[in-house]
This record gives sequence, C-alpha cells and structure tokens, in this order.
Amino acid sequence: MKQQILANKFQTHAYGRAGANAWWFMPTALTICLAATSFFLEPYMAHIATCWIIYGLLGLSLDLVWGRSGTLSLGQTALFGLGGYAGSIVAINFAHLTGNTLIWSVPVGAFVGALVAAGLGWFIFFGRMGPLQIAILTYTFTLILWTTSVSFSAKIGSAVVGGDNGMSNIPSLIIAFGENAQSLEPNDMFLVVLLISAGVYVSLRALMGSPFGLICDCIRLEPVKTELLGYDIRRYQTAVFIIGGSIAGIAGALYGGWANYLNPSIFSVQEALLVPIYVLVGGRGTLAGAFLGAVAVGGLSFWLGGGVIGSQTTIIMGICLILLVLFLKKGLLGAAIDVWWWLRHSRTSGEEQTSGSKDAVQIDSDLLDQFLLRNGKKQQGVLETKQASKKFGGVVAVDRVSQLFRPGQLRCLIGPNGAGKSTFLRCCTGTYKLDGGVIIFGGQDITTWEPFARVKAGIGIKMQLAQVFDEFDVRQNLWVAAYSRTKNRQSADQAADKMLAMLGMIRQQHNPASELSHGQQQWLDIGMVLCLSPTLILLDEPAAGMSVEEKRQLSQLVRTLAATASVVVVEHDMEFVRTLNAEVTVLHQGAVFAQGNIEDLRKDERILDIYLGRRKNVRDI
Amino acid sequence: MEFGIDYLIAVAVSSMTSASILIIASLGLAIIFGLMGVINLAHGEFIMIGAYTALFASKVGIPFPVAVCFATLITALFGAVIERLIIRRLYGRILDTLLVTWGLSLVLYQSAVLLFGSVTPGIGMPLANVQIGNYTISAYLLFLIFVAFALSVVTYVLLTHTNYGIMARAAIQNREIAASLGIEAGRINTITFAYGAALAGFAGGILLPAVPATPNMGFAFVIKAFLAVVVAGPVALTGTVVAGGALGAIASATSSFWTTVAGDIFFFVATIVILRLFPQGISLRWRLKL
Repeated sequence: MKQQILANKFQTHAYGRAGANAWWFMPTALTICLAATSFFLEPYMAHIATCWIIYGLLGLSLDLVWGRSGTLSLGQTALFGLGGYAGSIVAINFAHLTGNTLIWSVPVGAFVGALVAAGLGWFIFFGRMGPLQIAILTYTFTLILWTTSVSFSAKIGSAVVGGDNGMSNIPSLIIAFGENAQSLEPNDMFLVVLLISAGVYVSLRALMGSPFGLICDCIRLEPVKTELLGYDIRRYQTAVFIIGGSIAGIAGALYGGWANYLNPSIFSVQEALLVPIYVLVGGRGTLAGAFLGAVAVGGLSFWLGGGVIGSQTTIIMGICLILLVLFLKKGLLGAAIDVWWWLRHSRTSGEEQTSGSKDAVQIDSDLLDQFLLRNGKKQQGVLETKQASKKFGGVVAVDRVSQLFRPGQLRCLIGPNGAGKSTFLRCCTGTYKLDGGVIIFGGQDITTWEPFARVKAGIGIKMQLAQVFDEFDVRQNLWVAAYSRTKNRQSADQAADKMLAMLGMIRQQHNPASELSHGQQQWLDIGMVLCLSPTLILLDEPAAGMSVEEKRQLSQLVRTLAATASVVVVEHDMEFVRTLNAEVTVLHQGAVFAQGNIEDLRKDERILDIYLGRRKNVRDI
Repeated sequence: MEFGIDYLIAVAVSSMTSASILIIASLGLAIIFGLMGVINLAHGEFIMIGAYTALFASKVGIPFPVAVCFATLITALFGAVIERLIIRRLYGRILDTLLVTWGLSLVLYQSAVLLFGSVTPGIGMPLANVQIGNYTISAYLLFLIFVAFALSVVTYVLLTHTNYGIMARAAIQNREIAASLGIEAGRINTITFAYGAALAGFAGGILLPAVPATPNMGFAFVIKAFLAVVVAGPVALTGTVVAGGALGAIASATSSFWTTVAGDIFFFVATIVILRLFPQGISLRWRLKL
C-alpha cells in the first residue's frame, strides 16, 4: 500500500507540496534519442515503428480518460477511426491546394474526434451513467460503427468511401508546401510522427500537472467527494473525454496518411481490444506507458510474424489481456516506478519518518471567521426543509421532515440506526433527490440543484465515513478543497497552510492521507469542509474514532463554528451531544419523533423505547 | 403493400420469436451479472460452445434433445473451470472482469475460427411448419416462445425459492456474513457461474436449428444481450426478461416493416434513450427479488 502511494507521488502534482519536479527531462531526452535513430533506421523498420507510435498516441488517449480520470471507454478506436476517415477525406479533397497534407488531415481529425467525444461525453456524463453503463455504451458505439460502415458507401468530393472495400488513395504525409511537394520517406515520416506525438504528450503532461489534472485525479479516486467539494465533475469528465477524443482523432489522421488506406476493420472488436492492452501493458495512469505498451505489443506481434493482426495474434493478445489484469495490474512502467521508489525510499527512510500523533487543534475564532467569510461578508446559511420525503423502493427513509437550521443555533440529530439521519443530510446536499417536499437555502429553492451547485452556494458536509483522497498527502487534500473556492493557486496555498496550522497537522502535511488514523482522517475531512467557507455545516458522526481529548477539542470547535454558521451534527455519542448544549431533534423511521434539549429528552421513556427497540412505542409510529 | 390480418399476425408471432430468442440468449448473462456482479463478455462464446457441441453431437447420431442436454453440461463444466481459474480472483472488480472476459471472448472466437473454419452447416428445423393465412412459420420457432417462458420461470423459482438460490444471493451480497453462517461462498459462486454458463450452452443448443453455429455467432447475440442486461439494472432476471422481450420484439417488428438495419438501429437508439432516462436501469425501484 505504501509503495503504491509513493509510486503515485511520482506522477501526481507539485501543488500543495514543496519543490517542482523536472518531469519533462526524461521525455525530451528520449525523444531526442529516438529522433537520432531515424537517420540510420532501416526504412522498413522505420515504417513499422511509425505505426507503433501512432498506436501509442491512441493508447495515450485512453490512458488519459481511463488512467487519470477513471472512465473506462471502449470507444477510443471509434474516435480514432472517425478522425482518420474525416481527416483523410478532407486531405484527399484539399491537399492539392497546398501540397501539404498534414495541415488538413490532422486538425480535421482532431476536431472530428473532439466533436464526437463531446456528443458522447455529454450523453454519458451529464446523464450520470455508472462506469459499467459507460463501458457498455462506448463498446456499443464502436460496434454500431463497425456494422454500419461495412455497408456505408458514399462519394464525398474526390474521396470514395467504399463500405467493406474501404477508402484508398489517401495521400501520404507531406510536410512541404507547393505543387512539387514530395511524400515523406519512411524515416522522415517516423521523425515527423515522433515529434507530433512527443508534442502531444508533453502538452498533455503539462495540462495534467496543472490543477485541472489534480481535479481529474480526485474524480478518479473519490468522485462523490470531489463533487461535494463543489467541482462540477460532469464538466471535468466531459472535458477530459473531449481531449482524449481529439488525441485519438489526431492518431487516426496520422494512421490514414501512414497506411494510405482505411477500411471498417478499424472499428472491429480486435482493434478495440488492443487499446486497453497498450495501456495495461505500459501501466495505467502513467501516460508514457501507453507508448511503451504499443511498442511492446507491436514488437511482439511483429516478432510473432503476424505483422499487423494475424490469426494467432488475436489469441495471444486475448491471453495477454487476461494475464495482465490478473497478475500485472500496474504494467511495465508502473512496476518499474515501484521498484525505483522502493530503492530510493529504503535509502532515505530514516529521515522521512514523522511522528504519527497529531498536535492539538488551535481554535482561533478570528481565523475561523475569516474562513467562513464568503466574498468578504457574512451570509446567512439558513436552510429550511418543508415536508421533505425520500423513498427507496418501499422503504420511506425520510418521511415529511420540516426543519429550520439557522446560524447561531447549533442542532443535533439523533436517532437509532436506520432512522434516516444520514439520508436526510444527503437529501440536503443533493446526493439524493427528494421524492416530495421542498428545500430552501439562503432564500432560494434548491430542491432540484445538483450537489456541486449546493456546495458552491455554501453547504458543506462531512459524510459518515471520513472521505479523503488516499493517494494525496494531507496538504494536497486541503489544497484541493481550498482551490475549489478560491480558483487561485496562491490563495489556496495560504488557506491550506492556515488550516494545517489550525488542525495541528503541520508535521504530517506530507504524509499520505491513507496513513492517518481514523480520528485524524475525521479532522482532515472537517478541515476540507471548512476550506470551502460553508455557511451551513453538516457533520455526520464527526466524533467517531476520536479520543476523549480530541472530542473535547471537536466540541469546542463545533460550538465556535455555530456562532457564525448554521451547524447540524448527527451523532450517536450522547456524552458528546451533551457537551454541545444544543437543541436536539430525534428521528425515528424517517420522521421527526421529538425535539428539545438533551436533558429533557433523556427523561422521555418513548425515546428510550425506540433506542432499545422496546415494544410499547415502536409499533404505533 | 397491403397489410392483411394474416401478415400482422405473422409479424407479431415472428417478433415474439425474436424476443424469445433474445431472452433465451440473455438469461445466463443476467444471472451471472445479477448474482455475481460479473459482466461476462465471453457469454456469446459460451453460447457458441453450446452450439458446436450440440452440432457435433447430433452429427454423430445422438438425438437432438439429448444433444442439447449434452451441450448444456459441457458448457457448464467449461464455465466452472473458467470461474475457478480466472473469475474468482476478480470479484468486486467489475471493469476488470469485463476486460478479462473480453480477452477470453476473443481467444475462444479465434480458436473456433482456426478449428472449424468460419462457416459450418446448420441442421434442419426438427418440427413441421404452421400456416397463418399466406405465411408459414416453423413450429419450432413457436416452441421457442414456450421455452423462453418456461426457462425464465424455472430460473426465477430456482433462485428465489430454493435453498441454493437463497445461499447464492447471500454469498454475493455479503461474503463474510454468508461464510460465518456456514455458506461456502467459493463453492456457491462456482455453481452460480456454471449455472449461467449452462444457460448459455442450453441456448446455443436449443437455438441451433434457428441460429446456425458459426464462430462469430457470439457477437451477434451478445451485444443485444448486454444492452438488455444493462437496461434492466439491479433486478437482473425479471428486468432482463422485460427489457429483452420488449426491445427484441419492437426491433423485430421494425425490421419486418422496414429493413434489418433499421431494426438494429432502433434497438440501439431505444437502449440509449432508456439509459439516458434511467441511468441505473429500469428496475431500480422495482420490489422483486431477482
């Protein structure tokens, strides 16, 4: 586990951590070395190797979508093929105007790939489909293209798309201009494709090293939490899918120019299968691994004598996929990075160890007030639910709950397991949509709002299980939360540092969040919520896993927060509830059962009955 | 073109037949998905194994009904072996099972191409024809409607009203608790996967007169079967019968009035629209057990 986290540090971000890393050094050096080989490679070898690089680019598009933002798409070859067909059709028709073909085919390929990906992405992400549905739908999309393209014949300008016969006479890659411009020789084509691919890779690495990439990683690790930090994950996922689509389209356009011929087999199941294999062989999430995988797989099938995809090659590829998923989950590059980190870490382990225990929380009410100011002024985080109801199948989890939460009034929700407390909170954040009733927040009807919009409006929640991004360190967790509000790197830095100091976690700031104890993860999650400057704070079992001393600090923090913001605490720990000295609402079977201060409620026999499951008052509710 | 009443009846019957074929082909997939959370992309190739087994069995003179039973058994054994060797390492990792079974699917497909060539002879319809006005329909196809119905009911009862079914559903819902109640989750899962494979083998055999055995027959079936299962959602068995039946019947009717391609496109478009409206499947709020 630890090894994995360390390895992931290699590819994640400098944000929220000290020291920039010179990630661009390796790819540049490698590109220069490979470019040098283009001068003495055998032309036939150069021709074959060009194809591997193009497939590597296709693999890169999947690794971005799957490895980094966590969406398994089986439709990358569809985007590749569409980009290839579109780019080639335009190149056939217009290349004679300039002599050059690249300036036609590559932009058109990229555009068509991006456009189709945008349509698909809008559909699957804004439809909030699950990972399985996405995989099946993208696979179906590829298969529809396969079946329709076989019988699709058309003449577009001078380009003839001949159904099963394919489209021939696609001009080769030409980079010179003018009437006498010549097609590239295999070695020069290798060089050009290499440089284009290197350019795409470096741009993508730069993009993924920015906060955008950090948020993509968040979505892969914890999509629900990412949305509860106020990020519209649908837009990020669609954006990533569009970028992936344009990369696949570029690869397709290059492929058309390389092969001079395209046919429907580009959409076939066998082709589609190869893309995840490239990614898995190289190492999912490493980006560079896609190229390594394409070269390894291409080299293997070349060596087996199939050239492209011979009959036995399919069997071997199928077996490879099975073995990779079963035994080499992290691929070649992933495994290499593991070993490298392990070697490095074992040398320096002595100094990097930090103490496990955390310092006391420093509650500074002025600082808290600063955190809770939105746009420089205090806002009223008044939340009102009217007859809010939520059903699951036949179970009524929340039954016509009408409540009003106001700043300055701390509120506790208690009730036995299954009373609907957590479900009620999730209805407030929009994770669950109401089946009946209305939710009004800050004077606006938010009943149909998406969770991220509610968070932006000022609702912050710590869910029952502390949700932190395991692979990130403590400071990065806080930074991502702060960046959601500030959208500014410097302000996010400052906010993360202040929150670290307040939580007493400065010494642990570079520890992976997964190494924290349960109680520390609770603190970190609460810190992330506070970084959002919420005006309504919902805390679901915040004291679970905390020591007596930590509970005392938490109680003080909650009471301080309640002076400025609306705070709702769900808790089973009655001693902790008592220290909050708040108004208590008892939920039972989804409905409000009783309300009052804790001392009065403790004397109420009916509440003891529902907690203990005693007969008398349980039946008639 | 005049649509006589006999034509409409013939279209209705052939739509029901297509729907039944789809239901027969999808049941095994639905069981494996619904009970084990595994998407078996090699399901189509399991059907193919059943079809080839039944074909060769009847070629050597075994009566067709016995050949179908034989096909069921062989495919079940194959499924059990695959579960032991591969699937059991991957429970809970749904996308990984999808990738692994995808690889398996291509291995089986390509092996069939190498072993049997891409075209093999079919076998004749075992039963006589039925006349509807000017149209004739094979009685065997009508028999398939009955088979689809009977198979669905038997599977439902088996999985909801027998000890095995209850244990199987317990084993997948919570492995530890099931184990602590004395249920051998590993063995139950092998049986369930083998049962899903058996349904595929049975489908391959029983459909053989209607759908000849070819290496790529799996692809033809399995896409629509997946879509039916994904559209169905959490209540996998009943949902798949409903989704597969409705989509299959309407697509078949569409292709009777227009073209086969129109029928396919209708199927895909309808699926996409339904998934947009019910991203988690149509049965999310149903209160059935399976």
